[in-house]
Amino acid sequence: MSDIPPTPEPGDVDEAPQRRRVWAGPWRSVVLPLVVVAAIVGAIWYIESRGLPFVESGSSADSGDYGPLALPAERNPTGRDPSPEKERAAPDFLLETLGGSTLRLSDLQGKAVLINFWATWCQPCRSEVPHLVAAYDRYRQEGLEIVAVNLQEDEGTISRFVQEFGLQFPVVIDRSGDVADKYRVIGIPTSFFIDRSGVVRSIYTGPFVGQQSRQGIGESDLAQRIEEILR
Amino acid sequence: MAKAQAARSWAQTARELDPLRAVWRLFTSVRWALILLAFLALACLLGVLLPQMPSTVRGDSAAVADWLDVERGKFGVFTDPFYRLGFFDVFHARWFAAGLGLLVVSVTVCTANRFFPIWRTIRQPQRRVADTYFQRAHHRAEFATPVEPLALEGVLQRHRYRVERFQEGQTTYLFADRYSWSQLGTFVSHLALILFIAGALVSKFTGFSEDMFVGEGTTAPVFAVSNPNQMQVRVVDAVARFNSQGQPLDYRSELAIYQGGEEVKRCTATVNGPCAYNGYRFHQAAYFGFGAELQVRDLRSGNVIYKEVLALADSMPAPHVIVRDGDGGTLMDATLVLTDFVETAYGTTVSIPGSDRTMWIGVRPDDSNSRLDLVAFEPGEQADAVRLLLPEGQRASAGGLDFEFVSVQRLPASFQPDFPLPPGSAEESPQGQVLLEMSNVVYGVEKTSSGEAVAVPTQSGPPTLSVVGISPVVLNLEPGQTASAGDYEYTFLGQREFAGIKVKRDRSENLIWLATGLLLVGLGITFYVPRRRLWAKITPERTYLAGVAGHLANFRKEMGKLGAEAGSPDAAQEEEEDGSP
Repeated sequence: MSDIPPTPEPGDVDEAPQRRRVWAGPWRSVVLPLVVVAAIVGAIWYIESRGLPFVESGSSADSGDYGPLALPAERNPTGRDPSPEKERAAPDFLLETLGGSTLRLSDLQGKAVLINFWATWCQPCRSEVPHLVAAYDRYRQEGLEIVAVNLQEDEGTISRFVQEFGLQFPVVIDRSGDVADKYRVIGIPTSFFIDRSGVVRSIYTGPFVGQQSRQGIGESDLAQRIEEILR
Repeated sequence: MAKAQAARSWAQTARELDPLRAVWRLFTSVRWALILLAFLALACLLGVLLPQMPSTVRGDSAAVADWLDVERGKFGVFTDPFYRLGFFDVFHARWFAAGLGLLVVSVTVCTANRFFPIWRTIRQPQRRVADTYFQRAHHRAEFATPVEPLALEGVLQRHRYRVERFQEGQTTYLFADRYSWSQLGTFVSHLALILFIAGALVSKFTGFSEDMFVGEGTTAPVFAVSNPNQMQVRVVDAVARFNSQGQPLDYRSELAIYQGGEEVKRCTATVNGPCAYNGYRFHQAAYFGFGAELQVRDLRSGNVIYKEVLALADSMPAPHVIVRDGDGGTLMDATLVLTDFVETAYGTTVSIPGSDRTMWIGVRPDDSNSRLDLVAFEPGEQADAVRLLLPEGQRASAGGLDFEFVSVQRLPASFQPDFPLPPGSAEESPQGQVLLEMSNVVYGVEKTSSGEAVAVPTQSGPPTLSVVGISPVVLNLEPGQTASAGDYEYTFLGQREFAGIKVKRDRSENLIWLATGLLLVGLGITFYVPRRRLWAKITPERTYLAGVAGHLANFRKEMGKLGAEAGSPDAAQEEEEDGSP
């Protein structure tokens, strides 16, 4: 037996509270619903913006070590922060080579360096490669180093391509794409021409083809840019 | 008094002018929600009835202008206003997204507004009603014979009611409540509606779709260069099956997916069975059977300088010609691969087997440019030299030979610019362009795919790739065959097929499934387990019952049944009467 509830005032029972509109003050009636909407939108936004988990490579001993690095001050002749722009020191990086060793860009200071961002699936890159091979053959004795930065491909695919097309220069793998991001690469192939002191002298987006095919390497735009950084 | 009335009136006016209350009134209005729903339904109807701009056109001003020109034929002067109003792209129009957003806000405000009253009735239900309610309630019953309160309480408990009993003098009051939580079902339905709209917005703003056309043995990236989720898709094998009439039965592709430099998945994508990885689905969207893999090697260095899988997406004419000798014996029955352009004619030099005669045979458009005629020309001035012009399907004699132009077939072909030509060819073809034609092409058999359909002229033997434009010869290569020209070595690596792969990511799918489940649960609760609240007043003379239940419940009949079970004879009688047809 329960306590006797007070005798209610005559009136009907609240039969359909779900149909009632009750102003419960600005907080409950306006702010709370808006907070709920914001929470739903925020949750969806969060889920979407966090992206999908990146699959780390299993072949690298410690892939976390690879990527962009701070350029030691003594290797920066410009006195300004490194940046992938003309007349600025080239941003440093450490990447895994195709053979399993490592390559750090700043270790190449003293040589003229052509950094070429590429991938085997990129048809313009494939067209350009024979010209890079020819340029390397011609200028390597003068101090040219070509660093071919492959974007996020598997070693088997790259190795087959390197063997078939006869690439003699170092091929490094940017598994995470962080180095390409650092160099603000928005399309491939993209080439950065870096002089012996580590300063970017020119940038070229697109393949070196056509002119090279007709004129040979000697008179081409590619050769002119290489000769500029060899001086 | 007048002052008090004026103050109340002023307060009333102030409340009505309060912008927060105005917003609240609007968004708690069911009428407003219905207007929004009607607006969105009308918009959807427009989106279904009016042609919608394809995604490939959207964003490209030139393509949009061309598309609108086509639609102008149907919509005339209304075309531009319709375009400006977004009627040709309803589901991407801002006003459509705004409508969806307003509906979300409306549903949320309505839900929040009604939550607290409902929660109160669940947590603190009205346990006692005024005596007059037993005379007015929509669901009520009254028995002349009193029932034993404890008996009725027991019956209610057996029917899963939560019961409270109060005693006031000789009168016993009962309050019974069943499935009080089911009143929350309406919120589940509302939440489902919000999730449906949220799913649509997620799909609209964050959905990803990319069409790829990938040759066998080649790889293509899913994204433009830079993306933290960058993946590559390699088509290991593209397969099509056809019936004997050449109609496709099935397309499928074996795919290898790479991410972060590793192969992360190998799977088969079919038209109805996409391959899924990490939230992305790889659908088989198209198939193309006429491709060729060609390699060029520089013999001086030994390096490959060109290796491509090429889609032969154009076609070139190939006349099927039968040449007989004067006795009617067949000398040649062949579909010719044409390699030379001479003015408007397109032909090739043919040595007639079994004879020592060589002539140029080809096709050229007739005067009306509506059909191709066969041309046969034998060099020399002798009287019996062949000079022949023959329409398709006809036979004629010339130079002691009988020619039959059976039909014009089409060969898969493609003009390839920037093709590596050996020194000597470049001057004649400065753009480095060659023509590739593939004859004896089959798709749907053996090494390509299973099936029997033959879509293009086929003779005995394997596919043959003709490379036209490498001076001075035409290279005719079978799979695996190599030919040298200058310092270059050309190899036809084989026929290849292409797969059209659509990569999609639509993360709204989970939301939509969740919303569908919640909607079913919410509707199920609302309609099949409605809350029942029952008040009983038992006096020594009579028993009164009154209650509240959902629309689908025949609560009055249930009351009679409860009374009968509790031992009221007239309740049992009433139940029988009520249950009779």
